[in-house]
Formats: sequence, C-alpha cells, structure tokens
Amino acid sequence: MSALTDTAGPPRRGGLARHLGFWPVVTAIVFVLIAGLLLLPVANIVGVSLSAGAKTGGVFENYVSFFSERFYYQTLLNSFWVSFWPMVFAVCLGVPAAYFVNRYEIWGRGFVRAAVVLTFVSPPFIGSYSWVVLFGRSGVLTQFFSSLGIPLPSIYGAPGIIFVFTLQFFPFVFLLVSSGLKSIDQSVEDAARNLGSSEFRTFRTAIAPLLVPSITTGALLVFIASFTDLGTPIILGERFRVLPVLIYGEFVNEFGGRPVLASALSVLLLLVTTAALLLQRWLSARFSHATAAIRPLQVQEQPLGKRIAATAFVFLLIGFALLPLANIVVSSFLKSNGPVLVASFTLDNYARIMDRLALPLWNTLFYTTVATLLCALVGTAVAYIIVRRPGPVSSLLDTAVMFSYAVPGIVLGVGLVVTYHEPPFALTGTAAILILAYFIRRLPFSVRSSVSMLQQISRDTEDASINLGAGPGRTFLRITVPLLATAILSGALLTWSNTIRELSATLILQSGTTATVAIEIFNEVVNGNFGVASALGTVLILLTFLPLVVLFTLLGKKEEALV
Amino acid sequence: MASTSVRIDTVTKRYGDSIAVDGVSLAIAKGEFFTLLGSSGCGKTTLLRIVAGFLKQTGGRVLFGDTCIDDLAPQHRNTGMVFQSYAIFPHLSVVDNIAYGLRARGLKAAEIKRKVDTYLELTRLSHLGHRKPRELSGGQQQRVVLARAMVIEPDVLLMDEPLSNLDTEMRIHLRTEIRALQRKIGVTTIYVTHDQEEALLMSDRIAVMRGGRLEQVASPHDIYNRPATRFVASFIGENNFLPAVHRGEAGPGHVRLELPGGQFTAKLRGDLPAGALEAAFRPQDIELCPPDGGGDGLVGTLADIQFLGGTVRYAVDLGGGHLVQVAGSNRSGVALPAIGTRYRLGVSPAAIALFAPEVA
Repeated sequence: MSALTDTAGPPRRGGLARHLGFWPVVTAIVFVLIAGLLLLPVANIVGVSLSAGAKTGGVFENYVSFFSERFYYQTLLNSFWVSFWPMVFAVCLGVPAAYFVNRYEIWGRGFVRAAVVLTFVSPPFIGSYSWVVLFGRSGVLTQFFSSLGIPLPSIYGAPGIIFVFTLQFFPFVFLLVSSGLKSIDQSVEDAARNLGSSEFRTFRTAIAPLLVPSITTGALLVFIASFTDLGTPIILGERFRVLPVLIYGEFVNEFGGRPVLASALSVLLLLVTTAALLLQRWLSARFSHATAAIRPLQVQEQPLGKRIAATAFVFLLIGFALLPLANIVVSSFLKSNGPVLVASFTLDNYARIMDRLALPLWNTLFYTTVATLLCALVGTAVAYIIVRRPGPVSSLLDTAVMFSYAVPGIVLGVGLVVTYHEPPFALTGTAAILILAYFIRRLPFSVRSSVSMLQQISRDTEDASINLGAGPGRTFLRITVPLLATAILSGALLTWSNTIRELSATLILQSGTTATVAIEIFNEVVNGNFGVASALGTVLILLTFLPLVVLFTLLGKKEEALV
Repeated sequence: MASTSVRIDTVTKRYGDSIAVDGVSLAIAKGEFFTLLGSSGCGKTTLLRIVAGFLKQTGGRVLFGDTCIDDLAPQHRNTGMVFQSYAIFPHLSVVDNIAYGLRARGLKAAEIKRKVDTYLELTRLSHLGHRKPRELSGGQQQRVVLARAMVIEPDVLLMDEPLSNLDTEMRIHLRTEIRALQRKIGVTTIYVTHDQEEALLMSDRIAVMRGGRLEQVASPHDIYNRPATRFVASFIGENNFLPAVHRGEAGPGHVRLELPGGQFTAKLRGDLPAGALEAAFRPQDIELCPPDGGGDGLVGTLADIQFLGGTVRYAVDLGGGHLVQVAGSNRSGVALPAIGTRYRLGVSPAAIALFAPEVA
C-alpha cells in the first residue's frame, strides 16, 4: 500500500550502538568502569593478602599472625572501641535533639539546622586538630585552665577520639531521625494521647518504634564513619592505634611498607564495614512500617520551662559541635608561632598560603570538578539502567554501586595502588587515579539522586519519544536527562561537597605534585603550623559549604537530602 | 489487500504461565477507527503495545500493509501513540512537543513549521504554541499529544485510554473532537478503552476482548443489538438473563420458550445452542402490560421503582428469585404504578437473544 512506502519511518543511523543497541553498549561501558575501579581492586586486595603465605603453604598466614599477635588484634579491638561509643553517644544526643528541633517550639530552629549541616559536612580531621588547638598540651584552653590551677582531661587517645567522632557524626542520627519524624502522621500521636498516654510514654510506645529504621541506620552510619576515619586517629591517637592508621602506616612506611600486610588489614576493615551495612539494610527492612504521613507530626506548644530546657540542650550540643569550626575561622586570623597562637589579628596566615595554595587549590578544584562531572554522567546512566532496564546485569550494577558505600576510602586507595601500579596501567601518583578514586567513591550520590526521581517519572514519557521516532540515545538525552535535571544537579552538588574534603584515599594515592587542599592542611597540622592550617581549613570549609547553600536555597532541598 | 492497513495474525503474548493475549487475529481497514474494548486485564493494552513495538509477542505476526514489522524497533515503526498519562514532554513548549517526531525524522525547519502550524490549527492550539505544558489544562494537554502523534503522519494511530484521566465534561467534549479529527485526517486508528459508551460512540468497528481473546468483532450497532456471546450481551449495555427451556418450533425460524413466569416466542438468530438455554432481553425492549390480557409474556409483581427523572426503572419479581429490570419513561400526567401491581411483560420475538449459560 502506498501510505507505507512513502511514509517510511525515521532514518536509521549507523554505528556500533545500532548493531548492539544503545543501552547494551552503555551498560557494558559503565560495567567495565565499575568493575575496573571497584570490584577488581577489592579482588586484588584479597588476592594480595593471601599471596604472602603461598610460598610457605599457609594462605591465611597474615590473618593468623594478625589474630595471634597482640599488637595487631589490639588495634582491631581499639577500632571497635572508638566506633562503638560514638555510635551510642550519637544516638543518645541525636535522637532527643532531632525530636526537640522538630517537635518543640525551640528558638533559633533555622540556625540549629544550618549548624548541624555545617558540622556534618566539615572535614573530620579539621575538627580534630581544632580540638588540639583548644585542648591539646599547649592548647589555648588547657593553658588558660591550668593557669587557674584546673587540670583538664587529655584530648589525646581513645577518649578524645570518641569525643570528636561523637560530635562529628551525630548529624547522621539527627538528620535521619528528623526525616523519620516527618514520615509519621500526626494522627498516630493524637491517637496515643487520646487513649491516655503521657508524652514520654507516647514517644516510647508509638513514635520511637516507627523511628527504629532511622535510628539504626543513623547509628550504623556513625559506626562505619568512625571505624574508617583515618585523619582523626592520626592527629589524636598518639600511641593509641586503630586499624586505618595501621594500614596507612604499613602502606606508606618510609622504611619499606608491607603492602601484603596492609592488604590483609584492608580486607578486615572491609569485612567489618560490609557487615555493618548488611546489618543496617536488614534492620531497616525488618523494622520498616512503610508509613506515609498525610499530615506529618506537628510542632507542639510546650510550657515555657520545657521550651527553655529543650533549647538549652540543643544549643549546648550545637555549641560543642561548632566550637572547632569557629576556632578554625578565628585562629586563621591570629598570629601564630608554630602551634602556639597569639591573640592579635593578622592576615599573615592567608598571605603565607597564597603562594603555596595555588597548586593544591587548583588540583582540588580540578579533580573534584572532573570527578563530579563523571559521577553525574555515569551516575545518571547507571540510575537509568537500574530503574528502566531491570534484569540480572541491572541488579548486579545496583549491588556494585551499593557496595561502593561499604568500601572505605583507605581500602579503595590501597586497592587502586595494588591494581594500577605497573604498565600498561601505571596510574599510581597521577591525577587520573585520584579522579577515578573520587569518582567511584562518590558515584552512589548521583545514582541515588537520579534513581529516586526516575522512579517518579512515568515511563510513558520516554515511550512516547521512542514512538515518535527518536532512538534510545536521543530519547535519553532529549527527554530523560532534562526531566532529571534537578536530581542530577543536586546529586552533583552533594558529590562536589563530599569529594572536595576527601582525605583517606587521597593520603594513599597522592604524590607530592597531586596534593590537594586537604592534604596540605593535614601536612601543616602534622608539622604543627596551626595558623596556616586554619587558613587552609577555612578555605576548605567554604568550598564544602557553598554548593550546599545552592542546594538548599535554589533547589529547595531539605538538609535530610545529605544522608 | 490494498484496503488493509494493519493485520494482526494469531498474536499471542505469554508471561510465564499466564497468557495476556491469546491467538488474536484482526484485519483493520485503512482509515478505520477500530476499538479494542474490555475491562482491565483483558489484554487490550498489551495488544496495542505489541503493535507499537514496546512489547514483543510470544507468537504470531503484525503486518502494516503487506510488510511484517516484527523486527522493527519501536522508533522505526511509524506509529503515533497517545498515552493514558498524556506523556507530554513537560520541559518542551507546545510547538516543540508537536515538532518532536518531525525533528527525529530530520525534516527541514520550514517543513516542520508548516506541519506544526497545520496541526496547531486543527487542534485549535494556535494561540498556545509557546506555552509550557504546566500552563495547560488536561484537555489542552491531551490535544497537544494528539497533534504530536498525528503530525508525523503515522501508518496507524494508537490510543491507549486517552480520555480516562479527564473529567466527564471534557471527556464527552473531546471524544467527539477526536472522532471528527480522525475522519478529517483519515488516519487508521486503534483505540483502547474500557468505556463502552466511548467505544459505541466513536468506533467504526469494535473488538470486545476478554481473557486475552476476542469475543466479538463487529460494528457498534451489531455489538449492541446482536451480541455474539453471552459475555458481550452482559458487558455491553444492560440485559436481563433468564433460564429458558425449549418447547418446540413456532413457525419458520421461531421457537417457543418456557421461562420463569410464562412463555415467549423468540426469533432465532442462528443455530439453537444445544443443551440448557438462557434468554437475554434488554430493559428497554420490555413492555409492561395488564396481567389478564391475552398473548405471550411473563407474569410478575412490581417489586421496586427507581425514579431517575426522565426515565423510570421497574424491578419485576417473577418468583423463584428471578428479577427483571424494565426501563420506562416518565411522561407528564402519567402516575407511577404502585408496588405490588401485577404485570405481564411483553417482549417482541426479535428482541430476544439465546445463549448457552456461562460455565462459571
């Protein structure tokens, strides 16, 4: 019939994608990327950790010696110790704080929220050295109090680490519980009160059970963050050694590190974080009640006394959490003589970082920007494959992306070095390996952001485009990407703000010329140049916080989007 | 056959053990408005998506003209689809939405503009060309996607319940408009709906589907007046079903039937089904007569009256649990009968259809 011969469909284009299909080609590419940057390095660490014993016959030799030598297994116990307590304390502080901020008419609620975000995104090692400045042996407050004859407890060792981790990571609990509270309907509380429950009893019996997934998730994230943090225990640990510090020491030891042992330690670290994440997923699923609030829990009027008490509690917590940041900013403008700060205003520190900052700052901005763009590009494609093309490959990708949450920065760093240290892929010490490390570590932000938006977009819109003659690639670029624009942008802003302060993988992967701002700060702190470190720290905090200002103001995101 | 536009040849779609479309064969003529009618899960949307290429059939073929299109990707099939959810591109203006398929085909800008303008006019959207979809009403959005699907001059226009997201008034308005536009353009159309009124009003032919199979393919008039199966008789419009017993011939082409409450003569429409019988007749084909007058009919008692303004519905109890619905009109000056009045129900022999009872 004539209508068919003269109205042939749209033109077909050539190329590889035509023969294999657009999405199969894209899927293959992202799969190779994720496998090469995540799965292969992890597999290699496991391989290397077992290799030493191959000659002597005992493949588990390293693990046997780890668990039989007190020096090593004590390190593991130490790691659990300084992760368990911050987890407990963060729940004890974060849950009531979130409840008060969301339910009570406390004063300065907006300020509290901003402060929590600021605490949350500020680099943990900056907080640690700031506490040293305040409470260290020659710390400002230590000296002040000892001149009054009051000795202060030491900030060094396990108690100091637990203290810093608690303040640094309680926002996990705070933010998750806040968002959990918003998903509970007011009618739940009203019903409990109507049936004769007191406020506390209502919280205990009706509200808290619905918050269990939020609380357990927050708690385990605190645990993982504490367990894998490298900067804080280096700065505060002294003779108290934890697993990441041991790995770092074994790996970059100037007198010939032991990569095999470092690999075995990395595997242990990875096992713990993976187990914690699996436990978190299981707990969330087990205690999930899938509530949806039509009218979320409302702010309630309280008697003045309660209101004052709640405000005092929240502000005390926030005050402690913000103190190190405020200290950094203030001390960046103070004259310093090594670790001793003098109370007179100066811009010297900024003048001193000007010439030295140029390269690290450029590095930081360049690596972060490229990694963020890569994350946005690949993350959106991965999200599309996960949501729109379900199947075995798609669920494998999903699992791999989730797994990258579990891989600590230091483990990823060791894995990448072990994998890419010789030709043809001799990337160690290059900018490329840092960018790729940032990319694979932060990929979940982009994926998650796009996945949740894509799930809300009807597939019909894309089908309509295909039906009108646009191929899958054109449909993705012309329809899917524009529809996901805000999700992609907010994913990118989160990626940026989390990448720019990365320390642990960077410590393993950087060479002198690829040092970032975070590395510079770390070096200055280790060398005791607190003034310069503070100026650099202030710059870094600004760079971290700016994209979030965009995220909250222009994109209208709530701070819960951070976790 | 030159006049055939779309041919569906024993198409089957299975999902594991369940079967969504079961050996359906159809030939749709060029320019025809063809409706797939059925309740949800009957396979009508599955069949439409197979034609569009979004689903791959398990067996059978789909042909456009004489060309088998089974191996063509959906973007190369040249079908225009209108979705239940509109599927308007929210980030593109009205003009860009309509031009989308033309741009994918690589047409020249001038030609695109000419065609878009034509369809803007046809759908009365000219004044809204540069609006974004969020500034349009539901009805306007549906006209945009209609124009978008038609402007590419598709071999077949596919519409998947396009009106079900609209309010009643807009739905009634748009169904007339869509039909008029389709006649004007002359595009072959496959229309999917669960709304029988829509199907009866718009279609050249209707295929009633159930459980993945075709129950009947016929014109709206025949679907309503000569239902081929008991399912069609019960699904389209309203029908009274009563068990019937064959009591012999009553002249050429006529049979005597014994029903609860009396006897009828029915005109045969085909062969008499073997075994048990059910007689079906519509509420508006029944006349309420005095019980003692002569002639055929079922005698019963008026059990309920539903007054609906212009029409009045009577429920007549024939005893033994058999209720018959009768539709009457409300005329000025005529009083409503009293409940409990006895009536004889008169039905013309041609208005009675006979089926084998459903095997439940």
